[in-house]
Parts: sequence; C-alpha cells; structure tokens
Amino acid sequence: MASVKLTNIKKIYDNNVTAVHDFNLDIRDKEFVVFVGPSGCGKSTTLRMIAGLEDISEGTLEIDGQVVNDLQPKDRDIAMVFQNYALYPHMTVYNNIAFSLRLKKVPEDEIFERVNNAAQILGITEYLNRKPRALSGGQRQRVAIGRAMVRNAKVFLMDEPLSNLDAKLRNQMRAEIILLRQKLDTTFIYVTHDQTEAMTLGDRIVIMKDGFIEQVGTPQEVFDTPVNLFVAGFIGSPQMNFLKANLIKGAAGYEVEILGVKIPLNAEQNTVLEQKGVSSQEIVLGVRPEHTTVLFDNAENAIECTIDVNEMMGSELHLHLSSKNEDKIIVRLPTVDLTQEQRDSLTYGNKLYITFPAKVMHLFDPATEKSLIDG
Amino acid sequence: MSNAMTNTASSQPKMKQHMGLKASRTIGNTLIYIMLIVISIIWLVPFVFIVLQSFRVESTHQVGYVMPQVWGLNNYTELFNSNFPRWYVNTFISALCTCILQTIIVLCMSYTLSRFRFKMRKPLMKLMLILGLFPGMLAMIILYRVLKDLGLTQANAVPGLILVYVASSGMGYYVSKGFFDTIPKSLDEAARIDGATRAQVLYKIILPLSKPIVIYTLLTAFMGPWGDYVFAQYVSNNTAAGMNVAVGLYGWLSQDQINKKYTMFCAGGVLVAVPVTILFMCLQRYYVEGVTGGAVKG
Repeated sequence: MASVKLTNIKKIYDNNVTAVHDFNLDIRDKEFVVFVGPSGCGKSTTLRMIAGLEDISEGTLEIDGQVVNDLQPKDRDIAMVFQNYALYPHMTVYNNIAFSLRLKKVPEDEIFERVNNAAQILGITEYLNRKPRALSGGQRQRVAIGRAMVRNAKVFLMDEPLSNLDAKLRNQMRAEIILLRQKLDTTFIYVTHDQTEAMTLGDRIVIMKDGFIEQVGTPQEVFDTPVNLFVAGFIGSPQMNFLKANLIKGAAGYEVEILGVKIPLNAEQNTVLEQKGVSSQEIVLGVRPEHTTVLFDNAENAIECTIDVNEMMGSELHLHLSSKNEDKIIVRLPTVDLTQEQRDSLTYGNKLYITFPAKVMHLFDPATEKSLIDG
Repeated sequence: MSNAMTNTASSQPKMKQHMGLKASRTIGNTLIYIMLIVISIIWLVPFVFIVLQSFRVESTHQVGYVMPQVWGLNNYTELFNSNFPRWYVNTFISALCTCILQTIIVLCMSYTLSRFRFKMRKPLMKLMLILGLFPGMLAMIILYRVLKDLGLTQANAVPGLILVYVASSGMGYYVSKGFFDTIPKSLDEAARIDGATRAQVLYKIILPLSKPIVIYTLLTAFMGPWGDYVFAQYVSNNTAAGMNVAVGLYGWLSQDQINKKYTMFCAGGVLVAVPVTILFMCLQRYYVEGVTGGAVKG
C-alpha cells in the first residue's frame, strides 16, 4: 500500500526517440489507476519505468515519498503481472508462487500458508503441483496473479494482463480482478489498450497518446467531458460520431448549425463559451451513438440520413448512417420497442431522421482538436 | 454382387500403386541402411583394431595380423609402471578445470550478450567473430613466451595450458547466446521484480531452462583439452612431467620406442577413449538438443 508520484517523467531512447514526454501523475494510496491508449502510446513504457525495468531518462519517481529512480526492481517492493504471464516453465505452480518468498528467505511453513491462501482465493489449489504448460490460459493468468499477490507488495502493476485471453474469459477475469482489488486493497496500476477494461476497472483513467497524457479523470469524467477529439473518440463503444458543423453566435446566444438544422445551446454551454470569448466558427460536433434519438418520420430539427449498414447486436441495432454531406454516423437503436414493419424498413438506402439535445453535444475546435467547452 | 466385383476391380490399381510406394520405400531404406552399416564399419575398424592390439601380449611391436595370439592385460598393467598415470592425471586436471572455468565464462558471456544492452555490445560481438576466424596457432609463439616468463611451461605445463584454454573461451558464446535469446525476456523481468538479482536470474531461471546448452558447453569444454596435442606438446616442451596423454603417448611412437611400446600405446589409447565415450553415451541426447536447439532457434 503506497502512493506513487511521477514528476516530469521522460523516456528518451538511445536513438533519440522520446517515448514518454513529461509525465506527471499523483497516484493515491489504494487507488486503481488505468493507463489506456493505442499501442505505442508509451503506457507500457511508463509502467516499466515504475517497475524499474526501464531507466528513467528524466524526472523523479516516488513510491511512498521515497525517490526510487535508481533502485533495482527487487528493491522497489512492487509486484507485476505480465501480458504473457511470464511463469517459470521449469517450476510447479506452487514453486512459481513461492519463488519470491524463497528469495526473501521466508520460512517454509509461512510460504506454505501464503501460497495456499492465494491459491484458494484464485481457485487454483488443485493445480499447485502442475507445471505451467499443463494449464489453460486463464489458469496461467491466475497463477501469475497469485505470484504477485503473495508478495504483499506496495504497488501492484498489471501490463495488459487480459489481452491474451479469449473474449469470454476476459470478461470473467475482469470481474475477478475487481473482486481481487477489493480483497487486496492496495495500489493498482493497470495498463490496457481496451477502453472497456479501463472504464470498468479504474478509479481514474489516464488516457495517453504518442507519449503524452491526453486526459486524466474518473471513467465518468472522461466519458462525459472529453477534453479533445482523441479522448472523445477513444472512450466509448461504438465510438463518438464526429460531424462537420458551424457554431453561430447570435443575439439570443450560441447555436450549432448542422445541415440546415439549428440547435440552440443550453445556458451552461452558453456561459462557458461566453467566458472563453468564442466567436462564430466551424466546429467538429461530437455526439455519442447512445445519445441520439432515431425517428422514422421527419420532425423539426431532425437530420436526414440514409442507412448504410444495419448491425444486429441482440438487444439493440447499430445503424451506420450517412448524412447529406457524407458524414458517417453510428446510432444505437434498442430493438425492444420496434414494430416488425419498422425493423423491415431498416435496410440499405432507406431514410431515417436523427435528433439530439444540446446537452449531449461536444464541441471541438477543428484546428486545435480541443474541446471548446470542457477542459 | 456385380457391384462389389467392380468395386474391387476399381480399387486394384490403387492397391498396386500403394504397394509400389511401400516397396520403393522399403528398397530405399534398405539401401540407406546398407550404406550406413558400411560407413560405420569403416569408422569402427581402427577402434576395434586398437582394442585388439591392446590385449596382445605375445609381442610389443607391430605385427602383420589382427587377432592376438595370446590375450592378456599385461599392456594395461605395464601402463601403471610408466609415465602414463602422470599424463592421465595431467590431462584430467586440465580438462576438468578448463571444463568448469570455460563453462562458467561462456554462460556468463552469453547471458550478458543476450540480455544486457551496452554501447559496445555489437562491435564486441563482431570483433570476437573476426578474431575467431584467425587460427589459434598464430598466437602460439607469443603465448609460449608469456607462459615461459610466468614459469608455466615444461613441468608446470598444466596450469599454463589451463590458462591458454580458458583465456579465449568467452569467444565461444554463439551457440549458447542463440539459445538464451529464445528464452523470453519477461521471465528475467518477472524474476527481477520477484526479488532476484541478475546472477540469481541466471542460475535459478535461465540455466535450468537451458540444460541442453549447459551440457553441450560442458562437453565441448572438456573435449578440447582432453584431445589437444599441438599446444600441449609445445608447452610441455619434452618434459614428461608436463605432458598430457596425447603428447606422451605419441612419444611412444617415435623410432626408438615404437617396438617396445606399441601395444602399450594401444592400451593407453583405449583408456583415453573410455571416459569420453561414457560421457557421450550418457549425455548425447542433450548434446544433440544443444547443437540443433541453438542453431535452429538462434
């Protein structure tokens, strides 16, 4: 249990490639922080710097107030779970889990107790005498977690621990990690490229791109108030729709004009824009698929679209639409209220109308890609 | 009925084809085995010859027949009254010490080159590759001078030889580095986070996973000094106390000794071959795995 503080952390490789730029983050004791981003964004590098597997080029890393930049991994008191499990193939599951305790010269009877305790929590007691190769992927991952658990380390690091598992097992293990977190009650830093994992696991999410932190916040914050186009597009599935639109400053306040439809902004949005002194300009309008309302008949302020693709997801449909100016829009439509006639009409080329209220609109500056309202 | 008949009729050519395949495979295999048997006989003849000669007691010089007329162990017992035990011990000590030291150096070197990234890593590897292309004999004269100044020639040849054998052993890193490269780095990292030092990673994780290559390294390191002639002859410089078996035994084939010592030479040869043969028979599985594993995966 410990806090982790990263101050101006940089990673510059020998060939002068900068993998991580100026990383600042305060991780509180017992917090679950998720680093998320596309591959190559520096999230794993940052985690490995915290673990001590990569040198820190610049900046300071503190664990529990102590600067650990120059400490070996073994002296940092951290536990880590790797993507490929990294189990020692020549040792039994028991010895794999006991390895770190033996190095610490913990008495054998205590090792026995701790290993069995961890095995019980993870449900791997019956496999303790097996070698890793005789286990399935999910079981191996449990062993890897068990190996990290028995350490009672200050910080628990996980580097994409679920990405080698199949989809069903991944969901199951995700739930188990949440349970485990409650049992261990320690500081977690978790790396993933899967935004669903990030949203479901994290107390706070750190969204990274090209070595920069794009946004830090709770899952709700990054979902509701993305500060730029990247975060808006990365968080949420299916991803947010981006439409070309115009922001018009009128006498009665700001309104967004899209394909001839004018949507006035609400009071809160008006205040922020007013304060920032934003004038009329072109914008990128972001609307999440789940925030649109689909109409089968034209109505006031509705945008006309044609259907490209109709994906059946079970409880809902994902409709891929094109607007008149070729913007691609995805909308989610629950199937439960649809009549058979309506379902049959949702085929390629047919027309649909969508509307959305002002409060779900995210406005971005096309030049800076930053949100005009949030951040 | 007629249906069944046509069925068998149509399947007959297939059967024939099948038989033809099988037959040609049998013929091919037979030919290969005959060739292999002939080759192995050719290979084995000298060994059988030497073993037979070593048991011949009616005369000590070379004779025109193969099967001994009188069998006995005289040649072997005689060996113990000669310098042979001394040579044997010399050889064994130099081979054993070289084997241990060289294995340690090679494995550490390979681990370093496989896992650490330092500035001169690539140039160093290239340099060693190029140096390895020069025949070792080129260094003989200077090595002799150095050893002589250190007082490690003639009667003190054994430590001198060990020094020569071990000194350049780091250059033999290729095979084991190739093998280590196939072991995922994340195992090292996991162990280091679990609290292991680099050295502990090597002997608790990497070496147990590299058994074939460790045994391969041990075997080759043992074999080199065991059968070495040129350097051993040079460094011992006609002093019997510093000779190894190869040099000592070869001395018995000189003009003035061959007629008295020929059968003893054969007996000595058999005794030299025994430990190596036993080693190989026990460890050949690992040896083959080591060579092929390193080569294919590396």
